[in-house]
Amino acid sequence: MSTRTDPRDWLRTARETSNRRIALYALLTGLIGFFLLPIETGLVTALKTNDAFVATLPYVPPGPEGFTLRPARTALAELLPKMLNSVVLVIPATILSALGGSLAAYGMTNLDWKNQLAVVVLFVAGIFIPYQAVLVPLSRFWAIVGIGQYSPYAELVELIVTHTAYGLPITTILFRSYYQNFSDEMLEAARLDGASAFSIYRNIILPLSLPMFAVTMIYQFTQIWNDLLFALVLINQPAAQVVTQGLANLGGGIQTQFNAQMAGALIAAFPTLLVYIAFGEKFAKGVASET
Amino acid sequence: MAQLTLDGVTKVFDDDGEDVVAVDGVDIDIDDGEFLVLVGPSGCGKSTTLRMIAGLETVTDGELRLDDSRINEQSPQERDIAMVFQSYALYPHMSVKRNMAFGLEESTDMPDDEIAETVERAAEMLGIEELLDRKPGDLSGGQQQRVALGRAIVRDPDVFLMDEPLSNLDAKLRAQMRTELQELQADLGVSTVYVTHDQTEAMTMGDRIAILDDGELQQVGTPLECYHEPANRFVAGFIGEPSMNFFETTREGDRLVHPAFEYPLPDGTAASVGDGESVTLGIRPEDVGIGDIAGDHAFPAEVTVVEPMGNENNVHLQFTAADGDADDFVAVVDGTEIHRHGEGLAARIPPEKIHLFGPDGTAIKNREPIDAEADAERAEQEPNGA
Repeated sequence: MSTRTDPRDWLRTARETSNRRIALYALLTGLIGFFLLPIETGLVTALKTNDAFVATLPYVPPGPEGFTLRPARTALAELLPKMLNSVVLVIPATILSALGGSLAAYGMTNLDWKNQLAVVVLFVAGIFIPYQAVLVPLSRFWAIVGIGQYSPYAELVELIVTHTAYGLPITTILFRSYYQNFSDEMLEAARLDGASAFSIYRNIILPLSLPMFAVTMIYQFTQIWNDLLFALVLINQPAAQVVTQGLANLGGGIQTQFNAQMAGALIAAFPTLLVYIAFGEKFAKGVASET
Repeated sequence: MAQLTLDGVTKVFDDDGEDVVAVDGVDIDIDDGEFLVLVGPSGCGKSTTLRMIAGLETVTDGELRLDDSRINEQSPQERDIAMVFQSYALYPHMSVKRNMAFGLEESTDMPDDEIAETVERAAEMLGIEELLDRKPGDLSGGQQQRVALGRAIVRDPDVFLMDEPLSNLDAKLRAQMRTELQELQADLGVSTVYVTHDQTEAMTMGDRIAILDDGELQQVGTPLECYHEPANRFVAGFIGEPSMNFFETTREGDRLVHPAFEYPLPDGTAASVGDGESVTLGIRPEDVGIGDIAGDHAFPAEVTVVEPMGNENNVHLQFTAADGDADDFVAVVDGTEIHRHGEGLAARIPPEKIHLFGPDGTAIKNREPIDAEADAERAEQEPNGA
């Protein structure tokens, strides 16, 4: 470091810094626009009449005569019952896959048994199974089990079990990396305190893994809420359809109603947004402590 | 309260198909209410031994007995043993109260109010009753240490195991906790196995010390036995600070020949050493006399470094005849006796205080016994070695 200070040097540094700053802010503003523009476009399109949609640019807000709430009402009428089905699906599937992942991770991290690594490898492999590859066996499997015939809502049960099963690998690996950082001595102390393997899980592991539960549950909630593929394959009864199927229905018809579709997309995305806002802080804590 | 017996206890780890012996046939009897310190350098197998007693490691060979009944196969949950860990291993999400109560909730069917009472009593004993509602994360290291102790105490176990519990504390607090821990153990009268690598802790705390090296038991004895009558060179060098001085010599006739000096063999020891055999001569730093001394057992030396401790001075010396390339040795003298770097003097190795070790390290001769009667008297007055 030179201790000599030349005023011209200082000036040049200042100018360079401010130039860099300006470039940085310009880039940031550009990025914000880039990310927000589609959402803004969706929002204004949802509020336009079909005529206004054809007549104006997509991202320009509607004028007074082009404004309507009709597409929102159409979308809501289509999506509301399906959102209820989605809630019935997502809540148990999310909780079950997080809980199951946590239990499996405990069994594969803090308990000691033979060939543990082989099972861990299986779980890791499970993350990379492409859903498309399992669609046919999956629908055959549920046809053989055959609970779908008793009630349309039994198909939701099929979907809950399926999502739980396919969510387990990723939640298990997430929990496992979290549990590996737990102090061995603490768990040994619990064993010497007389606690059984399950009591250790319930009294020590479970309360300490709440941040990781926030992470896996937000992740699973989003995944399952947004899934269309499994729903399309497993749900045949209109009464049991979920929100993503409703959204797909909005796109059908003779004339594509872009405004209703946009309104539907925003409505369908709303619950995941709520979950992020509600659990975001815990999520950040969990992600931070995982590494 | 119970008597714990280790009978040929062995632990073999499997390291990629290769057998690694961590603990090799250790025999120790720990009497009811005794404070036994397991001491040794890191990697000597002392922690593994402790973990086998706890049930956290399986025993490869040998037998563990608690009051004459074999406990090898019992899980840690079944053994009535409490352990204090080096990291304290507290449950971070539970209050101090819950931390201490957890063991009782899990291992007994004591009613809640009785548990609460036991916890309160233990907390009072340790002076942590104001901390009961706090979480471990809000406590200082010393306070966490007390909670960890409290968690062990409330269980009222047959045996306490302590794995270097004081090593994370600063020096002042460590000295204080050392005394407190001894008092506590004496009050409770629970048999205790205490693992440490710190020979000061071993000397000051133990009723008896068991010294381990490389998985093998070197010696079991009272601190003073181990200090004055070490079974071998390892124990002699490990116990005591600064360490015993060792000189590699060869016996030639009635002399021990070292590159820097020739030491006349004391009477009566010649028989145990073969002629021409190599012998290690050991002398404790405080037994080396330095100054203007003449005689058969005094040799010229030069001061290289002086470490003033206040109450005493550690004087590092080198024999003049060694031409600067032979072993450094240390003498501990009174703090008022001043020596300077480069000073030439004579170092006397008094024959009644020397230790001799054979080629395999076994002690051939230890220093003449200290006043045995006074030692016995001391042991009688303080049965717990406090």
